[in-house]
Amino acid sequence: MINNRKYDVIVIGAGPSGVSSAINCAKKGLKVLIVDLNSNSGGQIYRAPPKTYKSISKKLEESEIQKKFSNEIKKFKIETAFNHTVWQVSPGFKVNAFNETSTIQWQTKSLIIATGTYEKIIPFEGWTTPGVIGLAACTVMLKAHHFIPSKKIVLAGNGPLLMLVAYYIIQFGGKIDAIVDTSSKIDWIRSTLSLITNPKNFKDGIKWIFKIFFNRVPIYSTSSIEKAVEVDRGIKVTIKNFMTGKTKNIVSETVAIGHGLIPSTDITRLLRAEHIYNEQKGGWIAKVDRFLRSSVKGVYLAGDGAGISGALAASDKGLLASSALLYDEKIISEKEFNQYTHKILKKLDKFEVFAIAISKLNSIPKNLIENIDNDTVLCRCEDVTKKEILKAVDQGAKDINQIKSWTRLGMGPCQGRTCQYATSKVVAEYLNYEIKDLGYLTGRSPIRPVPLDRVLGDFDYEKITKVEAAPL
Amino acid sequence: MTQTDVAIIGGGINGGSTGLELAKNGLDVTIIDKNFICRGASGVNAGTLTMHMTRAQLIPYAKKGWELWMNTSKWLSNDIDVEKKNGLCLAFTEDEEKLLIERSKIRKEYGADITIISRKEAKRIDSNINSKIKCAAFCEMDGYVSANQTGHAYSKALKENKVKMLENYDVSEIDYRKNKYVIIFKNGEKLFASSLILATGVHLEKTLKLLQININIKCLPQQLIVSERMPKIMDTVITVANGKLSLKQFKNGTVLIGGGWPGKGNIEDNYTETKPENLIGNMMLACHAVPKLKSSRVARVWLGLEAETDDAMPIIGKLPKFKNAYVIGSIHSGYTSGPYMGKLLAEKFLGKDVDLSLFDIKRFL
Repeated sequence: MINNRKYDVIVIGAGPSGVSSAINCAKKGLKVLIVDLNSNSGGQIYRAPPKTYKSISKKLEESEIQKKFSNEIKKFKIETAFNHTVWQVSPGFKVNAFNETSTIQWQTKSLIIATGTYEKIIPFEGWTTPGVIGLAACTVMLKAHHFIPSKKIVLAGNGPLLMLVAYYIIQFGGKIDAIVDTSSKIDWIRSTLSLITNPKNFKDGIKWIFKIFFNRVPIYSTSSIEKAVEVDRGIKVTIKNFMTGKTKNIVSETVAIGHGLIPSTDITRLLRAEHIYNEQKGGWIAKVDRFLRSSVKGVYLAGDGAGISGALAASDKGLLASSALLYDEKIISEKEFNQYTHKILKKLDKFEVFAIAISKLNSIPKNLIENIDNDTVLCRCEDVTKKEILKAVDQGAKDINQIKSWTRLGMGPCQGRTCQYATSKVVAEYLNYEIKDLGYLTGRSPIRPVPLDRVLGDFDYEKITKVEAAPL
Repeated sequence: MTQTDVAIIGGGINGGSTGLELAKNGLDVTIIDKNFICRGASGVNAGTLTMHMTRAQLIPYAKKGWELWMNTSKWLSNDIDVEKKNGLCLAFTEDEEKLLIERSKIRKEYGADITIISRKEAKRIDSNINSKIKCAAFCEMDGYVSANQTGHAYSKALKENKVKMLENYDVSEIDYRKNKYVIIFKNGEKLFASSLILATGVHLEKTLKLLQININIKCLPQQLIVSERMPKIMDTVITVANGKLSLKQFKNGTVLIGGGWPGKGNIEDNYTETKPENLIGNMMLACHAVPKLKSSRVARVWLGLEAETDDAMPIIGKLPKFKNAYVIGSIHSGYTSGPYMGKLLAEKFLGKDVDLSLFDIKRFL
């Protein structure tokens, strides 16, 4: 299992920030390994259809950028480990991963974590019904496979992802029965001024919105899905406007719902780095300095992991984190470091305006939390309902880890990635606490479920390393 | 300054059980913990209630503990899942067979109702075990507790019995004057107590130092592995003749792989870290014992810190040279025996005739 290959830097995550930081380090002669669980670089944002989809993959911007990434990785002799899922990172640093057939361990002096985000879904009655999927998951289908989940679909949640998904679904021939948005139209108009600071994304946004209007997609503002029930040939959704209280039922085939993104903190929590709570930046994030150094020496955060600022800022954040690393390792001089990072920081400030506007559109209205029914499951891995959580709180559970051990919340395969955010919101509101007072789930290995057959392979009983039994 | 009859430092299963019993006898008890109740080893251990891994000398105590666990509604709470299961200890080689027969015989002499059974009989008890075993040791007195619920159950019971709980209170000093104790906390607060019980588990060495008592307590960081929920693949608690393994499937479908394979960890900052090579070894042993397990995925790994004295036997009883001061800890298979040991110490405290000479701390002084 142990490979023991040693690197100067291991970059976890091959999205735009991971790739840019890997290149920056490799250019200075460091031995770099980039690891990703996907089959290629690009991350969630530049996800391109497989090469076998010849007819469509050429024209896409995603494919172009992805190709550029691949070429540069090759050019700068960066070692790659695609299709590898990292399951454990320990101090020192040892990175353990598995692929289709085996497990492997690498060692590295420094670590750049560029693991991005995952999606945030606020639970509602019936959210675990088959046919209810994540909005970000839907973009994967659309981008990587040019699939639409079904012919008819309801999109719900908030933020620009709603519009992007709507655009692609119409483009690929699907019908959108409704867009259910927690924001109001005024929220969107208000954000325009900030969004315009990023002309490229703004232009995309306008393109999406035109398409949606042109196709007369019904938009329900200041609304959310109250309930989803499986019916014959589809899902019946109850849409509730939380300003007027009015409800409406629609039968569709799929519901794609998402309320923004949550920075991935699995690895930094595992390494016991300090974390802070920042609602605007996505929730719990690793505490970093201006140059994206974490509180653990030798660990740097690139991309959205230490706060969401979006895809366009990602590669610059990668450059910033890797420059800090190069400076700390005395590979670049203070002067070079200052000159270089000064430019990047200025550029990043500009993206920040855009990021804040997006985060406002993705903000979670209080009603969304208040309206969660007592019997709604918050932790779907272990089937823990809101009622059970509040019972534990009533009986004295005082922080999220105590809630975890009393109720099993967050003990399943997702390790709380899905339930921590909403549960913290529910409990904080119930107790009139701030979320930071509840703490965050202690990081536990494996950060992704490890298939036993894959890790163990075939083995003989005699070959198992034995540990002596306890004394008699 | 607040006052209490009995201050118990350490709110794990030892401190909690002692405190509960004392409170039921009318004493005013305060339990102090630097974290939350049963959040250390008491809340993160494998919850196995087996005789197959218990030290022979401790079998009589483990049996009493087992009985208490089977009747938690009577003395603790309904809010904790306890299951009685058959226990099988497996031997895969001829050497292991010999070892198992020998060890089971000794455990039987100490009162464990263990019998050696054939492969065929073992397969009849649980058809999921590996067919290649040579033989197995069988004991009806086995089972498990969902240890993660320990904190919930104890908190509730202690509260109901009017035990005061000071959670997140870290003791920095214990002042002994005029046969009384002043406990000084890091936050500056103080507690005045007539009696003192130290039950800080793996931190006992440090806590005893506060009274100028110096003994060694080893810290054993032990790894635990749990699978995702899966259909029923086993119906017994499995251990092995040679090596470390405890294996069982909980009601919710998760399979817990334990046995005490070492990881890394230290007491100072409560840091723990897994040793991947030991995870692999532990998983292999588990999959060898119950082959169907191989189709599952590991959902989570964590560590607990077990305390062990130099002779791996408990220290329970009065602290010499102090008035009304007691200690309880380092109980091997402590989760099984803990409730009973706590009860015993409480009885000793209350002046009943209890023989704790086997666990006297004097042997280390």
